[in-house]
Amino acid sequence: MIYIGAEEMISPLGNDAKATFSAVSEGLSGISLVHKAGLNQTDIHLATIPGLTVSRAFENLIVAILKLVANNVDPDTVASDRTLVIISSTKGGLKDSIADPFADVADTILQEFNLAHQPLIISNACISGVLAINTAGNFVRSGHYDHVIVIGCDVISDFVIYGFQSLFAVSDKPCAPFDSGRAGVTLGEACSAVVISNNPQIYRDRPYSLLIGTSANDANHISGPSRTGEGLYRSVSRTMAQNGISPADIDFISAHGTGTLYNDEMESIAFDRLGLVDVPLNSLKGYFGHTLGAAGVLETAVSIQSMRNGLLLKSMGYIEKGTSVALNVIEESKNTQIRTVLKTASGFGGGNASLLIQDL
Amino acid sequence: MDNLKEELKKHIIEQLNLEDVRVEDIADSDLLFDQSGLGLDSIDALELIVLLEKFYGIQVTKPEEGKEAFRSIETMAQYIRKRKTAV
Amino acid sequence: MSFITTYCHITDRNCYLNGKLVASFDPGSSDSWLKQLYKFNNVTYPKFYKMDTLSQCGYLASEFIKASNPDRFTSYADDRIAMVFANRCSSAESDIRFQNSYEVLQTPSPAMFVYTLPNIVIGEIAIANKWYGENMFAVLPKFAPDFFINYAEILFSSGSEAVLAGWLDVTEVKVNAFVILLEKNTGGIKSNIVNLTELIEEAFT
Repeated sequence: MIYIGAEEMISPLGNDAKATFSAVSEGLSGISLVHKAGLNQTDIHLATIPGLTVSRAFENLIVAILKLVANNVDPDTVASDRTLVIISSTKGGLKDSIADPFADVADTILQEFNLAHQPLIISNACISGVLAINTAGNFVRSGHYDHVIVIGCDVISDFVIYGFQSLFAVSDKPCAPFDSGRAGVTLGEACSAVVISNNPQIYRDRPYSLLIGTSANDANHISGPSRTGEGLYRSVSRTMAQNGISPADIDFISAHGTGTLYNDEMESIAFDRLGLVDVPLNSLKGYFGHTLGAAGVLETAVSIQSMRNGLLLKSMGYIEKGTSVALNVIEESKNTQIRTVLKTASGFGGGNASLLIQDL
Repeated sequence: MDNLKEELKKHIIEQLNLEDVRVEDIADSDLLFDQSGLGLDSIDALELIVLLEKFYGIQVTKPEEGKEAFRSIETMAQYIRKRKTAV
Repeated sequence: MSFITTYCHITDRNCYLNGKLVASFDPGSSDSWLKQLYKFNNVTYPKFYKMDTLSQCGYLASEFIKASNPDRFTSYADDRIAMVFANRCSSAESDIRFQNSYEVLQTPSPAMFVYTLPNIVIGEIAIANKWYGENMFAVLPKFAPDFFINYAEILFSSGSEAVLAGWLDVTEVKVNAFVILLEKNTGGIKSNIVNLTELIEEAFT
């Protein structure tokens, strides 16, 4: 069995997992209107982490999260020669070095934490985080490593803001995934981590089981999701089949739900084809914005916290059905036992990825 | 010959990197987003918005507004003339 | 057991397929090197011109590998061909171009922005071939044969039947792309770290 746990997060809503999850449980959102941060000095909604350093913010966040994670596992785990660190990010330290955005962070943590192996960076757009966790599971299952620390991190930059604005993809109000009034994404920044291992003893708090996850390209368009949800459909059906999981086994879906018209519609079509429309579902983007390369890890970490606390979180920003197929979008947070979670992600480049986590 | 339309074709070929296309290959009425015409896609549409601002000082704030205007060279030229006289 | 059945190496001036020179840069041509290779390949795919150099290079390598045996991929189901690519600097060249579009030219270019992710090359190859397989783009300090071999083995054990993998270190002035096709039970060079390291050393020296 492969285990997952020791989840941590540094987000606009808190400096660790506990603070962040408690804010989310109270229904707080990290999104606010930021003065003149948009193109041509326009105001724009963002989910920013207060007090980030101007230079080396990316690197500092990664160092900070590794310290937090180290407290949640056996202290020998981080520097063990059986441990790999995977970083999931789209733009890395772009603000510090656009020509070589990942070199510094890798060197820094190698030295500061005395890592035994060169960290692996996965940069696969918005599916990076889910892909990184799946990769970690694969490396542990195959016996290449005993433990993998997966860190997802992206920080907000003019680069990303202007890029999304040039695509007319930014919402003029806080994003509202799956809602009829949704009008695009709200960008966010976060750093989150989980630890995958073959040994349940290394965890301070009890771990969960990470099942085999898969990815699939939708071979449609580099920046637009397939209208039929083909890639997401294929990834989720493959993940369910590989683990012998049927729709009735799934208690909760942590969807991608960016809040754009086409993405959310695509997801609803894919979930319909998969027979999953009745499963309670949320998008966490209404709390954290779209944190790009961090999203898959952050949303998995929050979902693990949901399992720990037996709390299904409402999909922030959702008011009424906004997709052609009705989904069971969670409108009010509610206490319930959650045994099996499906996490999905979709992104630019046609990528789709999915993973399953189960209570032991 | 309509100068604006010819100029537009030149700009479009350049802005969208349509290397195999020449000005004379594009008819004024060709459907730009249809495979029978230039077969442009959604990102090309956004680049056309950039083009309008860059060369004609016209701001398109809603991409849907572009959709009708960008049907063909003909409709684009009409749109530019309309927006220019409105200012 | 899996094998390296085809490999393609594109440098600044030459393109090799399975170690044999197939095309060289023509200094007399007004076309860029990658455009010369596109024309050499004789496949019409107008989208090529819209791609950034990273995508162009990955696309070309995949086309050369395909052309070496046109039937090669038709025996696989569309979701059994996986792609794993890596390089050192992510999409740095396109990132710099996009930054220039808003800092210098004052208007951020959406067509440039969509190429500011390194995995777009995987999307382009998937779209060109209608492949729905597994995807991964990694950033590594240098070509690491163990990463490709180990990850391909993992993909093979979870249902993939062919893996297109490789190193795509590409900027407008420097091209170094080494792409391999790994297949199961076909024969060829045995897929292991020693053999891939040898191929790389031969190619990169």
